[in-house]
Amino acid sequence: METLRLKVQLAFAILFNIGLFQWHTVCFPVLNCHSCPISVFSCPLGVIGQFTQLGLVPLTVVGGIALAGVIGGRILCGWACPFGFAQELLYKIPYFKFRIPSWTRFVKYGVLGGLVIAVPFFLSTQSPLYFCRLCPVATIESAIPWAVIKGSTDVAWLSVRLVILFAVIILVMGHRRFFCKVICPLGACLSLCNRVAAVFPERTEDCTECTVCAKVCPMETDPRAKGAAVFDNHAEECISCLECRKKCPTESIRLWGG
Amino acid sequence: MVRKAFTYTLMILSLAAIVYGGFGRKFTVFDNLEKFDQLKNLGIKIKLPGYQQESPQLKVESQAFTEPEVVNATTFDGIGRYKDGRLMSKYPDLRMLKGRRPCPT
Repeated sequence: METLRLKVQLAFAILFNIGLFQWHTVCFPVLNCHSCPISVFSCPLGVIGQFTQLGLVPLTVVGGIALAGVIGGRILCGWACPFGFAQELLYKIPYFKFRIPSWTRFVKYGVLGGLVIAVPFFLSTQSPLYFCRLCPVATIESAIPWAVIKGSTDVAWLSVRLVILFAVIILVMGHRRFFCKVICPLGACLSLCNRVAAVFPERTEDCTECTVCAKVCPMETDPRAKGAAVFDNHAEECISCLECRKKCPTESIRLWGG
Repeated sequence: MVRKAFTYTLMILSLAAIVYGGFGRKFTVFDNLEKFDQLKNLGIKIKLPGYQQESPQLKVESQAFTEPEVVNATTFDGIGRYKDGRLMSKYPDLRMLKGRRPCPT
């Protein structure tokens, strides 16, 4: 399953950055910077920030995120997001591994409300606090390539972005999907839809509550957490990666309709 | 049951938002003639459909854009507001953006 998922993630990463055509009128709800010279779709967070600055709501983008979330929750984080894919690969690098407190998952809601919506609305998208100006994905896909293509850049600001990127890489190497859990504002949007997602992992009557699923879960969800059990309550953090299904000794986990 | 009701309600609302935003919603965006003049003063020739390059005086024109077109324009940081609140193209004309690649924000 993991090999299949990595192949699907790679295919999506290529599709989003194939560079043969540009379709920026469409937002695909994954974190992929539209300022990338070879990007195909526009980034929902970038568009939301720009619209917020104008005092508008991008209905197609918000509707697209909501529709994706209602259908599959965070399944796009697990199967389609190029940066999620990059994080999976970075975590495979041998490095000091650490745990983080569970309350840190609420930080991403603050990032969504603060850096993606409030900063462009009250200040401007030119503000250094605007999410896109700090985003590590934008640094990799846009700031660095354009600095090379154009041969000039704001060195001081690029240095700040590189420091942030380096810090995120270090954290991702030490904690699986750190960015998805703690920082990603798009993950926050999709997390809010997890509870009502139509397609979601569920357990059958064969489950023996051995909690093997909890041990292998990259998002550290718990099948027994009160009010936030991953299968019974559709926990916000589940990315439907189905790692749990692969390891389940009684094969009692399935995706809805599976 | 309650979850299913929420799911279907949200699905219908999000589909309605996509359909209305994608096909029904229009934005009136005004050209940025100040920028046009700046470019002309710099000697940069601008070829745009609908404008006579030789015309000494250009008038502000407004165009109705669909939301997807505005989404495309915002990926270029292409739309702002005049002081009076009207939407304004940050380029002389949003039609310039067709087929171009966005610069980093």
